[in-house]
Amino acid sequence: VTATGRYLFAVTRGLVDGDLADVTGLRGAPLEVVERDGLQGVVCDVSLDEFGEEALPRNLEDLAWVEEVARSHDDVVRAVASRATVAPMRLVTIYASDTSVQGQLDDLRGKLLAALDRVEDCGEWSVKVYSTSAVPGPTAPTGEKVTSGAAYLQRKRDQAEARRTADDHVVQVAEQVYAALSEYVTAGRRLALQDPRLSGRAEMMILNAAYLVPHNSSEAFQATAETLSERYSDAAIEVQGPWPPYSFAMLE
Amino acid sequence: MTQTPRSPATSRPYTTSLEQSPTSSGPAPANLADILERVLDKGIIIAGDIKVNLLDIELLTIKIRLLIVSVDKAQEMGIDWWRNDPMLNTGAQKLADENKELKERLEALESGSGDRGSS
Repeated sequence: VTATGRYLFAVTRGLVDGDLADVTGLRGAPLEVVERDGLQGVVCDVSLDEFGEEALPRNLEDLAWVEEVARSHDDVVRAVASRATVAPMRLVTIYASDTSVQGQLDDLRGKLLAALDRVEDCGEWSVKVYSTSAVPGPTAPTGEKVTSGAAYLQRKRDQAEARRTADDHVVQVAEQVYAALSEYVTAGRRLALQDPRLSGRAEMMILNAAYLVPHNSSEAFQATAETLSERYSDAAIEVQGPWPPYSFAMLE
Repeated sequence: MTQTPRSPATSRPYTTSLEQSPTSSGPAPANLADILERVLDKGIIIAGDIKVNLLDIELLTIKIRLLIVSVDKAQEMGIDWWRNDPMLNTGAQKLADENKELKERLEALESGSGDRGSS
């Protein structure tokens, strides 16, 4: 018999029997709910051969493994979010037993309840803005010949100046879009910009924002984003959601 | 078993590319970078019984590997302007240099004490 642990996906409240009947946990294990005074932990069994302290550091080096677990984790959190208010845990939060999970729910009760209150009836929306205007490159686009050292230096200065102006403009667009979208939201935060190699887009990402938006404002929020994308012709605005409130259900 | 959603359904995230026509938008699986950004960097961090230092892993290996995977994908799509951008390539260059140095030291070790010189 291999040892098992309890993988905690999320903490929630108000789930009833059967809510998660059509969702499975990791590696096909059934989802279970560990309850403590109204707080519920959504868990499933995991083998410690795969999720134990020895195996985890090795498995986390394997991107295919990480992707599988991350997608399953997200699927479960998403399923819980569609039925109740959810506070998602970070990947691979694992306990030895249900007693241990309940101990955590007890210890953090106040903070967990506050986190759930904060995200109740809200979804997380991701807004990424890319600059579609061409940034002046290191070589002059015109074919004009450089005739002297002074002319060369002048051209370098002009290019640097053009780049600075372009950078300032890009920063302004990002600020304006971020602020304009804050109107209908409960909270907003700016995440790290993704490298083009991560985003898969050649354009430079100038804003990577997450907003906590009440479900009944999500249409107004999307409409605002659409208006903004018409206003800024040199920016591409990508809106994605709703996500479970990963970026907002933190403990304080 | 009947299920009655009590809050508005949270469907799979979909991407709306606003510069495209509305007909082209629709449900699409979320991109891995976006999922990892949330399930690894965000989410509630509480101590489990299984101790694993995610910080080491998430900041180094996962991100580096993610970059490498995406680089291949980007190259397939013909996007490679960043290859010549020193700002983006310093990390890769540093790793390459380190690798080269380590390889040289290993070769020196394997060829004996190292002071016998190359034959």
